[in-house]
Parts: sequence; structure tokens; C-alpha cells
Amino acid sequence: MAHSERHEELVAAASLGIQDGADQADLTRHLAEGCPVCEELLRDFRCAAAAMAAGVRPVTPAPDVRLAILASLGPSRASAARPASTGAWRVFAAAAALLLVAVVLDDARLRRQGEDLRSQSAALAGRLQSAQTALAERVLRARVLESDDVQMMLLGGKSPQPGARGRVFWSPGAKRGILVASNLGALPTDHQYELWVFLNGKPVNAGVFDADASGHALFESTVFPEPGAQNFAVTIEPRGGLPAPSGPAVLVGAPA
Amino acid sequence: MARVEARDADALAELYDRHCARLLGLARRILGESGEAEEVLQEVFLFAWRAASSFDPSRGNVLTWLLIATRSRAIDRVRSRKSASRPESKSLEDIGEGPASPDDVEGASVGRQWEQICRGAVGQLPEDQRRAVELAYFEGLTQQEIADRTATPIGTVKTRVRLGLMKLRERLRPYLESGSDGA
Repeated sequence: MAHSERHEELVAAASLGIQDGADQADLTRHLAEGCPVCEELLRDFRCAAAAMAAGVRPVTPAPDVRLAILASLGPSRASAARPASTGAWRVFAAAAALLLVAVVLDDARLRRQGEDLRSQSAALAGRLQSAQTALAERVLRARVLESDDVQMMLLGGKSPQPGARGRVFWSPGAKRGILVASNLGALPTDHQYELWVFLNGKPVNAGVFDADASGHALFESTVFPEPGAQNFAVTIEPRGGLPAPSGPAVLVGAPA
Repeated sequence: MARVEARDADALAELYDRHCARLLGLARRILGESGEAEEVLQEVFLFAWRAASSFDPSRGNVLTWLLIATRSRAIDRVRSRKSASRPESKSLEDIGEGPASPDDVEGASVGRQWEQICRGAVGQLPEDQRRAVELAYFEGLTQQEIADRTATPIGTVKTRVRLGLMKLRERLRPYLESGSDGA
């Protein structure tokens, strides 16, 4: 397309960055077709427009602006080849020192933040563990309690732990049972609690478990014996359990 | 600029000392006293440091190059503002024709020739052309916005902007081609 005043208008607007979208497209097309006049105008108009700034009152920046700029330059030839040769270099060095102090302070701040985050992370991990445990208990209970043949028996404390309490939920069909106990005493590390199921008056091992620090225990027996449980008991046995009860019974059921 | 391109920090410091007041004045003129002007100033000199090789003396002097970079960044910030906090437009008579402060002394030696030539060229523009270019240059108004602001047909605005820049170009041509600014 031949050069025209309209194209000069487009160039003028483009040189100031104030062109509209459609005008921009027209100018781009025109320049793509090749117009040395507009190319030269575009270059010259941008420089000519800068003359508008001549009437602006100069404003001296605060010293820290200069320091910030020079400190952020990174490696420079002058800093390597001519150390301390000029006042500018000394300013640059001072700015770099200030930057170093800032970096060190910032590093300390980041370290503190990191420690805080690690502490928060540990706390959250603990809460997550507790939540997972609670969820597991609910799942276990649901698995048994939602069985159609679920049964329940209360267990009372006996000497040496008369304050202990327990409940056993079991499903004969599923051959699973859950013991929920509280107020259990702490045991030596080489001992555990052992659950017994009484069938025809004889105790059958249903597994060993530990109580937590608060005396609470939730134990799911996956070796629950054949249907027909008549009673339950919990005794204190050597760690790993025994095939027959040998220690004192701390929880005993009360069949209806 | 060759020294700046060669990563000479002293050279950039000299460049800064020579032009910072003029560039900050322009940024303040566009952005006001918000503190953004100083940010723009830093951006421009970091740009000069990193992109010194893009400076082409055949396309204008260093000061013009820095002014273009300053104005471009400042206008970008103005346009990014969503609020209506744009500073009021001032005419050239309001801003810079007064006596220089002691802090302006540095600008009195270096670049004085450039300043005088440019002021003369701008001062010779017809008022309507100068006003149209001012609104575009300092406020980044589009031609339609200038038309709305001045209650002028957009065709007239386009003509005024074109003629204004054309006259500036003609009056500054020898200076633009010389590539000298004392930098």
C-alpha cells in the first residue's frame, strides 16, 4: 500500500504507544509490506517525542536509590579490575556491604521462619496421626457394629485394676471382635494385655494388645474363635502372650 | 555506553549521576509522588546495565534512549492502575519553567544543549499540537481519549499529533542524528 498521511498518523500514534487496536493492525500490515518512510518516521518520532521531557523539572533522587541500583548490578568488570580506584567503587563496595548485611539478616529471618515451619509441621503431623488413629477406630467399629449379628458385652475391672472398664463388640458371623477399654494401668515393657474368649467355660486366646499412655485401648481381634462366645476376660501376660492365661485378670465380662 | 556494555559499574554510576535527575523528573511527572517513580528509575538503570548492547547511537543519543525507557515504564504503570488516582495533567508552563533548585545544578551542565534545543522545539509548536502530544506523552491517553478530554474530533487529534511530532522531528533532526548528549 502506498505511503500516505494516514500512515504517518498511525506511525505517530505508535511512536507514543497510544494507537488503537485496529490502527495497530493497519500499521503492522503497512510496515510488513515495506515502507522505508514509515520505518524512519517511527524511529525518529520516538526520539522526537522525548523532547517533551525537556520541560520537566529535574528531581534529584534520594541517595539510597543510587546505592540500590549499584548494589544490584552483580559482577562488574570494574569491580574485578580496579578495586577501590574511584569513589564510585567505594560507594559500590559500601552498597554491596549493606546488601550483604541485608542478606544475612534476611537469612536469619528465613531460618527463624524455617524453624517455625518445622515446629508447625511437627504439630500438624501429630494432629494428623491422632486424626488417623481416630478414623481407624471409627472404621473398625463400623466394620463390626454394622454387622447384622453384632453383639456386645460389658467388662468390669478387677484387682489389681478395679477402675478399668471395657466393652467387647463381636460378630460371630464375621469372626471378628473389638475390645474398647479404658483406665487400664501401665505395664512393664515386657508385659502385654491378652484378651480371652470363653467357649464352653474354657479361655481361648484372642490376641495381645497394649494400652496407650492414657490407659485407653482399642483392639480388634482377627483371630476371634468360633461362634458361641460366652464370656471375655483380659489378663496381664508376658509380652507376646501365652496359650493359656497365667497372670491376673484385670477385666472380666458379665454375661447377661 | 561502551563501558557500561563492558560491565563497568563506574560507567553506569557516571551515567546515573548525569541523567538520574532528568529521568526521575520525567517519571514523577507521569506517576506523581507515589514512590513508583523511584522504582521506575531503578528499573531503567538496570535495563541500561543489562541491555546496553541494544543501544544504537544512530537512532538517538543515550539520554533519549533512557527517556524512552523511562516514559515507557512509567506509562505502563499508569495504565495498570485500576483506580482513578491518575495525577492531574499539567501544562509545560506549570512544570519545569520555574527556577532550578540547588539540587538541579548537575543538570545545568550536562545536557543543557539538549534541553535548550528541545524546549525551543516544543515551545514553537502550536498550542493545540503541543497539548495533544503532551496528553499522549505524559498521560498515555489514546487518541480517542485525547479527543474526549479536549472535546475535539478524533480526526483532528490524529492530525495534531502527527503534525506535532513531525515538527519536533524536523527541528531536532540535526541533534538526533548527531547522537551526542554528553553521555
